[in-house]
Amino acid sequence: MATNLTRLLESSIRSTNAAAVQSSMRLFSNQQQQHQPEDDDEEFRVLNLRTIRQQARRREFKKEAVQPPRTKRMAVDQDWSAVWSGPRSFHPASVPLPLRQGYTERGAAAPSKYANAELMKIPNFLHLTPPAIRQQCEAIKKFCTPWPKGLETEAKWKRTFPLEVVTSDYCHSLPTIRNPEARRVKITLKLSDLQFDAHAKDKFLRLVGERFDRETGLLTFVTDRCPTRKQNYDYALYLLTACYHESFVTEPWEASKSEADMEQYLFERNQAKRSAEAILNWNASREEKVSPPSGYAESVEQLINEGENEYNIAKYKEEVLKLLKIAI
Amino acid sequence: MSMYPSHFAEPVIQKDSQAASRNELAHIPIKAATNDSSDSIFFGVLQNKLVKYITKKGNRSLANELLTETFEIIKRTQIERYNLSKSDREKIIIDAEKLLINAIENSRPLLQLSAIKRGGVKYQVPIPLTEKKSYFLAMKWLLDAAREKDRKVKLPEKLAWEILDAACGQGRVIKKKDDLHRQCESNRAYAHYRWS
Amino acid sequence: MKMFRKQFVHLSRVSTHLQRNAIAPCIASPAAEMSTNVAPAAADTSSAATNEFRTGVTNPGEHSELHVAKFYTIPVEEKKQIFSGGGLPKQYEQQIKTFTEACLMVRSPALELLQYIKNADLTNPAVRYVLYGDNGVGKTLTMAHVLHYGALNEFLLVHVPWAPNWMKRPKEAANSASQEGFIDLPFDAAAWLVHFKTQNAKLLGKLQLKTSKEYVWSKRESTPAGAPLMELVEHGIARIKYASETTAALLAELKQLASARQCKIMVAIDGFNAFFHPITRIFSDNKQRVTPERITLTQPFLDITNYDWTNGVCVLSVDKIAMTEGYMASYMPRYLLGKDGFEHLDPFVPVHVGNYTDKEFLSYINYYLDRHWISRAQPGFEEQLKFMSNMNPYTLMQLVRGL
Repeated sequence: MATNLTRLLESSIRSTNAAAVQSSMRLFSNQQQQHQPEDDDEEFRVLNLRTIRQQARRREFKKEAVQPPRTKRMAVDQDWSAVWSGPRSFHPASVPLPLRQGYTERGAAAPSKYANAELMKIPNFLHLTPPAIRQQCEAIKKFCTPWPKGLETEAKWKRTFPLEVVTSDYCHSLPTIRNPEARRVKITLKLSDLQFDAHAKDKFLRLVGERFDRETGLLTFVTDRCPTRKQNYDYALYLLTACYHESFVTEPWEASKSEADMEQYLFERNQAKRSAEAILNWNASREEKVSPPSGYAESVEQLINEGENEYNIAKYKEEVLKLLKIAI
Repeated sequence: MSMYPSHFAEPVIQKDSQAASRNELAHIPIKAATNDSSDSIFFGVLQNKLVKYITKKGNRSLANELLTETFEIIKRTQIERYNLSKSDREKIIIDAEKLLINAIENSRPLLQLSAIKRGGVKYQVPIPLTEKKSYFLAMKWLLDAAREKDRKVKLPEKLAWEILDAACGQGRVIKKKDDLHRQCESNRAYAHYRWS
Repeated sequence: MKMFRKQFVHLSRVSTHLQRNAIAPCIASPAAEMSTNVAPAAADTSSAATNEFRTGVTNPGEHSELHVAKFYTIPVEEKKQIFSGGGLPKQYEQQIKTFTEACLMVRSPALELLQYIKNADLTNPAVRYVLYGDNGVGKTLTMAHVLHYGALNEFLLVHVPWAPNWMKRPKEAANSASQEGFIDLPFDAAAWLVHFKTQNAKLLGKLQLKTSKEYVWSKRESTPAGAPLMELVEHGIARIKYASETTAALLAELKQLASARQCKIMVAIDGFNAFFHPITRIFSDNKQRVTPERITLTQPFLDITNYDWTNGVCVLSVDKIAMTEGYMASYMPRYLLGKDGFEHLDPFVPVHVGNYTDKEFLSYINYYLDRHWISRAQPGFEEQLKFMSNMNPYTLMQLVRGL
């Protein structure tokens, strides 16, 4: 009971307080309303600390009207090479073709040529139309000499001019026109075009080393140690000449070449011959020496030089049976 | 648990029997054949199953090799026995696969004991086994017996002996089965606890 | 010895097992009926096809084209005499034990070799025949066939069952006393001498060969000139320390005796290319691998395969397995022998041993069926086996194991 009483008391006090506040609020507002009409009567002078500058009126740029693309004014039979005389990146207004390029969503048409970066990115060959090429060829024709007679086919001119020289020119937009790679000279030659004897050929191949490609039979010299192309070319030719002539020289130390240094297996020089002779001349007197048959020698050489396969070994077997006189 | 609905038919692996069942299976969906089944002479269903049980750590090729070796040993012993015996040679089976099948059939249990709690007391209640489970148990027991060996004895050797023993109706596996059956027999009074 | 003991243990195990099962009447009865299905079929094929895949001609000298792809049986005593110290592959040996007969198939490479040997003029230098072929193709068994011929035709057999054993897993390696820097393999040499003795004891007794010079082994031991060859062999076996030297002396003596026409010699070395392998697994004192020519056994066997003697035949085989990893790219003789080996043997007669022909394959299948080794003969199983083994003898043997 006591608690209920106190609660009642508290609530009554709170309500009386609230009423007092409300009355004071109303008073205050009334006062304000009384002051307002005085302000309206007299215009209050405003202190303007920042003077407003006279704003310069922005000049309006007059946009020129977009010209219609040049293609609209092009004649059907115009000289195209005059329009597009050299390599340049794509320009939509100059190319009278309805080109489209680029990726779109499925079903939509590809973007048209106007403002199309895809078309500008790729290199074009619009300056290399057949009429343009024909025209340029005609223009330089007067500088040409006739093709020499007797060199009509590649086989014919290859025989007369076996040497092939490859150089590269570089063109780029730099202050310098030199490119260090331009000095490089590569000469290629078929080894069969040079004439050798057995010793010279072996020596030549050893001299040139990996410059000779066994599979294609091509000899390749690449020179780049001199600063200019001319010097490098001369040097390459010098190398070729020097190697060629050096290969015909027999040095005294070459006599000490051992079996392991041989590039090919030769029956004559090997144990195989000695064994075969010993077997053939078993119990024979000194005069009537028989040398092993050439078929056997060939088969051994073939077996070792060409490598083993069923055919070579079958041939070897046949020859051995013949040599040892074993009846089959 | 099969991934196939129940109306799917089992695939026919043997090429010869495919023609016979072609008409029956013409309009029935068929399960895909498993990749370890084949129509070769080296394939046997039970054999395949056993290989799977022998496999440890997925090394199936080793398991296959072990079973092949087991068969070799079985064949060697049986052929030796064949050559030794003068009379009743006909009775000796040399085919290792047949012996394996016999061994498994002989060691298949029919019942199993399982603990069921009734009124706070656990009872060992004999319950029948499914066919699949009984085959599994037979092979497992064979393998367990084979693996319980000296370190120097190789698995194929021991497995071969166990198979030969079981095929004769002797040996540890058969004894184990008989023991189980005997226990089930003695606990037959609890059988009704399975359903009540 | 160890190997024998192992086999013996195995035997005893099997026999105890047999006893255990002997009590029960063999197998459950329905199965027994099943087994009879196979037996009669096999029985009548064997009765009808005796001539098809077997031949009664047990003398390899009489084999001809007629007997190709047929099996002949090596009599038990002869098998014991020739092959007790090795010469047949381990698995083949096991098969022989299981089948209770030592059967060899007559195959064309062996026939070809026999033909050469029969026609060869023995007064000429020894001809070297080199068997080559892929793995598991039957080189060793071809050699076994030829060895059988040699044993029956009074050739003294100088047979090395598997030469790489000396280089790969010697029983013991010791520094040689006589040659500086060389390595002796006393146990292996003694084992080889035992093998030589078992193979040739009968013939040596008959020929009465004598040593040509005195051999002094140590201060007290020596073999006088004119002593029987058997004494030399016995000495090597008894005094294992001198076994390598004895082997060298024996081979040199044999070569001389053969050249003097006192005996014929057949040299058969399996895995001959092991002598030319770059390295061995033997370590010298300074812990470095030894090359094969530093083994004292190598030189005598290389000498006896040389061409500088008569009255002899050399049958050698080159094998991929004799090499180690990195040298096994091809099975061709020149590759396997290497440069030195080729020069040593040249001119030799290469004899290719290949996979089975169709006829041989079917004959082998029939043989297996006859011996009950294939018990699951489903229709068309030959085709499957043919396809899976590519008619390679060893692969076929491995495939048929579990059938």
